Formats: sequence, structure tokens, C-alpha cells
Amino acid sequence: MFKILTLLLFFFINFSYAEDIEITNWFNQESKEFLEIMNNADVEKHQNYEKYKVFVETNFALKSIAYGLLNEKIIEKNDKETLLRYEKTFKAYLTKTIYNLANTSTSGEIILRDIDVKDGVYIINSDISDRTSSVSLYWKVAKIKDSYKILDIIVENTSYFVTKKSEFTKILRKSRGSLDFLIKELEKI
Amino acid sequence: MKNLFKVLLLQILLFISYVSFANSDEIPIESSVSYDEIYDPLEPINRAILDFNFFIDDIAIRPVIKTYKFIAPDPVEKGVSNFFSNLKEPIRVISFVFQGEFMKSINSVGRFSINTLTSLGTFDLASRIGMTENETDIGLTLAKSGVSSGPYIVVPIIGPSNFRDLSGNVVEFFVDPISNNIPNRSYVSIGSGLNSRAELDEEVDQIREVSTDKYEMIKSIYYQNRNSQIEEDFVQNLPTPKIYIE
Repeated sequence: MFKILTLLLFFFINFSYAEDIEITNWFNQESKEFLEIMNNADVEKHQNYEKYKVFVETNFALKSIAYGLLNEKIIEKNDKETLLRYEKTFKAYLTKTIYNLANTSTSGEIILRDIDVKDGVYIINSDISDRTSSVSLYWKVAKIKDSYKILDIIVENTSYFVTKKSEFTKILRKSRGSLDFLIKELEKI
Repeated sequence: MKNLFKVLLLQILLFISYVSFANSDEIPIESSVSYDEIYDPLEPINRAILDFNFFIDDIAIRPVIKTYKFIAPDPVEKGVSNFFSNLKEPIRVISFVFQGEFMKSINSVGRFSINTLTSLGTFDLASRIGMTENETDIGLTLAKSGVSSGPYIVVPIIGPSNFRDLSGNVVEFFVDPISNNIPNRSYVSIGSGLNSRAELDEEVDQIREVSTDKYEMIKSIYYQNRNSQIEEDFVQNLPTPKIYIE
């Protein structure tokens, strides 16, 4: 019995350790890429925007964030076509917000502080800093289909997901739950 | 050998259950804490005041801030920011005493003494020697005593607040030993306000550019920031979206 427990413990520790290394490597690689796009002032604006677009497509859990921002009833009452249109519009909107967020900041490096796990979601604590200041940056990441995807970014205690949820809920309430109206509002940005 | 076989079998079973779970269409991961709706009975009035604030910001405050940020080198901006932050240390000392955080209160006394004596507060030497800044105020003291936030309020010129934090600001106005003992108090207040606005300049630009509803965005940001100062494990308790297979 003791041997079994020891072996189980050994497997569990090995599994956790491997996962820790895997997510740390993923984070280091993706944050490096993000910084490269962010600090690349040599290319044309639209070229940089395309790079952000690819970064967002590759690393963000777009569907989870997009649907997470809606009420379940709204997802149920809309047809597939409208939902797909919403997903597409949301993707463009998210890219634009990330592009704006990154373009107004200058950054030297992203330092990984620690990684916590809650309910299957990794909470990565990091700092993004230049020579004069440092900003706290948390990433909520989940492993979806063998790749890590960002569910939320929390900059200086402000969650992207929570903030957008408040905004979207308000728009949907104002329009009596019209997803078309929300799509139009997002397209305006 | 038999035991090892059992362990391997167990591992395989665990692996299979993990894979079948991961391949289901939706994984129900929800936050343990739901984000409460913000009490906002004064919304129509608040929205009007926010529009007024943005109007004043456009015509008067923003141009001043943009010019200041353009002219002033980063070390000067940092020095000004440190100066106004240092003036808040006495209020932090009082707040920490009422919160029962005596060590933090002593830390604030030390920070104020060191920074004032060495550079009138413009250089944060105290942080360099390990006495890092701890944010607090009377509003947070009331929150930690169990006082609820009350309705959300947008204050003309000043910006977002709530009944509890605004009450805290009024108390601070009367008990602040620094502000009450310096000449031209109003100039210091204006300077402090402008400095706060300058510190948030990029965020305000963000709100202007990418917000679908400025009012809701500002309200949400305000509450998240305040809650992060009140709650432990704030980030861990924030809601997370359900996971859909991409």
C-alpha cells in the first residue's frame, strides 16, 4: 500500500512539474513575441496591426471570452449565423483593444513572478516594466486542445473580462438583448 | 510487479477520464465568486455629470495634462508624483491605526520622515531602503470595518466614487494634518488632482478609444481597483469565462 502511495505521489509530482515547465516555457515564448511586436517601431502601423491579429488569434481563447461576455439566454436565442458574426466582430474588437493597449505603452521586459492554479485555470503573475516604472500584469490561461489560451488579462487589478462584461451587459440591456445591436456597437470602434 | 501494474492501470484510467473530459464541448469552469452588480440608483444623474466631466476635461484639463507630459521629462513627472503621494502619508498613518495595522502605520511614519527630510518627498528614498508604500485611505478603513459601498456616485470634476469613499474623502479633508496646516491649500488640492489625472492619462485615452460604454467601463474599473485593495486573493476570485473548445 505504501509503495502504491509513493508511486502515485511520484507520478503526481512529475506530472505537475512537467506542466509547470510547459506553461512557463509557453509564457516565456509568447511574452517575448508580444514584446517584439510591441517594441517594433520600424514597421508600418498596419503591418504591426496584422502581427497583433495573429498573436490574438493564436493565443486568446476567443470563443470562450466572446461567449463568456454574453448571457446564456442570449446565446440560446440567437441563430448560428448571428453568433458567428458576433465571434468575428469580437475578434476584431479584441485585436483593436490589445493593439491600442500595447501601442500606448513602452516596455522593456515582462518578468514572470509566479504561477497559481485555480479550478483548472492557470493564473500567471507577471510584471511588465520599462526603466522608470513597473505594471502588475496577471494572465488567466487554460489548456484547451493541447495548447494554452488566454482567458483574461488583468492589468493593475483591472480585468479585461470583467470590464467588458459590464459594458456588454449594459448595451444588451439597453437594446433588450439584441445581439445585432451589440455587433453594430462593436463595429463602430 | 503486481503493484506497479495496478498503479499503471490507475494512471491509464485517470488519463482516459481526463481526455474524455477535455474533449467534451464545454468545460464548466466558473469562478467561485460572482461579481455583484454595482448599486447605481443615480445612474441618469451620474451619466450627465460624467458627460460634463469629459467636456471639462476636453476643453481645459486634457490640454494642460498633454502639454505637461510633453514638456516634463520622466524624472520630473516621477518627482511630482512622489511629492503628492508623500503628502498622503499622514492620512495613511491614521487609516492604518484605525485598521489595526500598526506596523504599516509605523512604516508610513518612517516613509514620510525619510522622504520629507531628504527631498521634500520628491524622491522615494524610503522604498529604496525597503520601506515600500502601502496604499490606504479613510474610505478603505470604512470598507474594512464592514461599511458597505453605498450608491455609485460621479463627483463633478473629481470623477468616480461611491457614498462610502466620498464620506472618507470628506473626513480626510478635515483630519489631514498636512493639508490643514499649509497655506494655499486649494493650490495643493488642484495640483494633486492634476497629478492624479496625469498618472491616468493613458488609461483615459484608452477609455475614449475602445470603450463601447464609457460610463460602465469607468464604473467597473473604479470598483475593481477599490475591491483589489479591500479583498485578499482579489485576482483569484475574479470571474473567469467558461471554456469553449476553440
